[in-house]
Amino acid sequence: MVPALIQTNPGNSLDVAFYCDYAEVRIALDAVTAFLREHRFTEEEIMACELALAEGCNNAVRYVDEEGRQQRIQVQAVCTEARVMFWVHDHTPGFEWPKKIELPDGDAENGRGLYLMTSLMEEVHYYRGSHENILHLSKARLAPVPKSPAGEEESRDEMKRRLAESDQIITDMAEELSFCYESLAAIFRHSADQGHGGTKAEFARRLLNDLIQIIAADWYVLRLLPNHGNSLNFLVASESLFSEQPIMLPGPDETVRSVEVEATITRQNVWFDQHRALRPGDPLGQIKPGANGVVHPIFFGERLMGTLVLGRNLTRAPFTAGQLNVVGTFSDFLAIQFVNAEIQEGLINSRLNERELEIARTIQQSLILREIPSVLGMKLSGHCESARQVGGDFFDVMECGEGRLLLVIADVMGKGIPAAMFAAILRSLFRALPRSRLGPSELLEQANVLLFQELSAVDMFITVQLVQVDGVTRKVQVANAGHCPALLYQPGNGGLVKLSPDGMPLGIIPDLKFATEEVQLKEGSRMLIYTDGLAETRDSCGEFFGYERLARWLKSAGQSGADVGRMKDELVMEMARFQRGDVLQDDQTFLILAG
Amino acid sequence: MKVVHSNETVSISEIRELDGSNSLQFRDQVRASLKDSQRFIEVDLSETTFVDSNGLGALIALHKTTCLRNGLVRLLNPTPPVQQILELTRMHRIFEVVKR
Repeated sequence: MVPALIQTNPGNSLDVAFYCDYAEVRIALDAVTAFLREHRFTEEEIMACELALAEGCNNAVRYVDEEGRQQRIQVQAVCTEARVMFWVHDHTPGFEWPKKIELPDGDAENGRGLYLMTSLMEEVHYYRGSHENILHLSKARLAPVPKSPAGEEESRDEMKRRLAESDQIITDMAEELSFCYESLAAIFRHSADQGHGGTKAEFARRLLNDLIQIIAADWYVLRLLPNHGNSLNFLVASESLFSEQPIMLPGPDETVRSVEVEATITRQNVWFDQHRALRPGDPLGQIKPGANGVVHPIFFGERLMGTLVLGRNLTRAPFTAGQLNVVGTFSDFLAIQFVNAEIQEGLINSRLNERELEIARTIQQSLILREIPSVLGMKLSGHCESARQVGGDFFDVMECGEGRLLLVIADVMGKGIPAAMFAAILRSLFRALPRSRLGPSELLEQANVLLFQELSAVDMFITVQLVQVDGVTRKVQVANAGHCPALLYQPGNGGLVKLSPDGMPLGIIPDLKFATEEVQLKEGSRMLIYTDGLAETRDSCGEFFGYERLARWLKSAGQSGADVGRMKDELVMEMARFQRGDVLQDDQTFLILAG
Repeated sequence: MKVVHSNETVSISEIRELDGSNSLQFRDQVRASLKDSQRFIEVDLSETTFVDSNGLGALIALHKTTCLRNGLVRLLNPTPPVQQILELTRMHRIFEVVKR
């Protein structure tokens, strides 16, 4: 057996290297306990350190593979007035340090090592690298170091030697600190940067350019996994030779070709080098032969945000555990920034939505007719109620001269500002067109010609019903652009009729023709024109109010001879009763004409 | 390691350390020494200065063996550091710890 290589400094540090064997661990531990006694740690402190170190070293022996077995395990110890610190360098493939360390069941024969380490030490850190991992333990002294017995004076040389040694420790620590400082400085710089605009990709590029400087990498690729997504989407890379195509995550039976996907599935670092080559078809296949690197999965809590690949071309040395630790810090920072950006975006969107709704409401309010005109012997009443999401319903009544009125009811497909805008445009259009000499079907044709381009550009359309009422002749002409039928109650034998002349909605095709239906209004007739929100109102069970119910209501109201004002109030109440206080799902707009 | 047999008990003593370097050997030797009639194992820990998680694992393996025989493992006079590890890992609730 090769004896443990022990390099003992009589001063404040100890360095022990040994091959992967339990018996060697014992020899190394004996050297460490002697070192701690020399530095006047109490027996209790020594026992705790010995046990924690034994657990770390045992793992280094137990889990080593053939590749790592050729290398020595190294234990370094440094004593100060206040504490002792250990570093155990092993060459196992390493493991993911659990988030929570608990005692296993009483019957379990294994699994107490990590628990003992964390219970006995003040600090335990584990840094995982590629076949080189570092376990860092630290234990504070419970009591101050006892003073040297009187008369035991250190020689001048001894003092000098100790001073030199302390110098070395400080230099080493300064080097490690500068590593941390560089990381922190970069992170602070980029934190300040984040508020100053720029895209997510630009931000990531600046941060990762700093990262590859700090850890001496040559290149990187960052891909993100959208929330509930099933592909890794390219965000940014240091070179243009990497594929920017999304990498689909494979199904359970499909072969995994990409190391990035492998890291996504295993949720662990995946290494690649000349021994662990990329599989054929890996999107990273463009890297230079002999390059090595690591894929690091990026998490925000439990949520996997994406993967970061870091690689080296110029050196075969893999990233060290310390460098991997920096990668972890940068990735965590990146994940936090991305989540912050998502939250900000969500806030801005919801503010925009609120503002949009407000504008749309203002437009719709402006469309409400303050005073409904009337003609000889005809009475009118109208109602327009908006759902929570403002839509594009409106009605209008305008005079056409010679005792005639034009009734307009329209429904612009869609919600929000665009729908409200088109409603306003259409209303103005009908007011501007020469309605005194154009019939309802001609007005619809003109409106379609004038609006077709604008509507089709945004994939919208409008359903409209125009009713021209002549107070003198009592004739009613109806034209319809894809709108729900008008309902007419005529006393006597006429009963209830649907008026639904042919016609497609405005904005579907450029040259539309519309038919016209004409009826003669009897005394006591009632006409209802409305938008489909009325018939499509649902009760709490999801049942529609429906055309039949609407027709029955009109007939019975017509028979009762109620005036239009009362009919309007009754219909509004009827709808409210039917919905039983539910929130309005769609706009409810209607006009009632009494002949 | 010294092994002494009485009727139903096998007594083990003179163990300095119970760790990664010897715990598997310890477990196998004690199991091999158990006679069919024996269902109790007494482990004298009065000279044991060091037990790690491997050593605890070996003791638990022996505990399972004795359970199958309706017996138990008795730990005698553990030294303070060993007693502390038993308590830290709550093993003192599983074994009968006897101070004589």
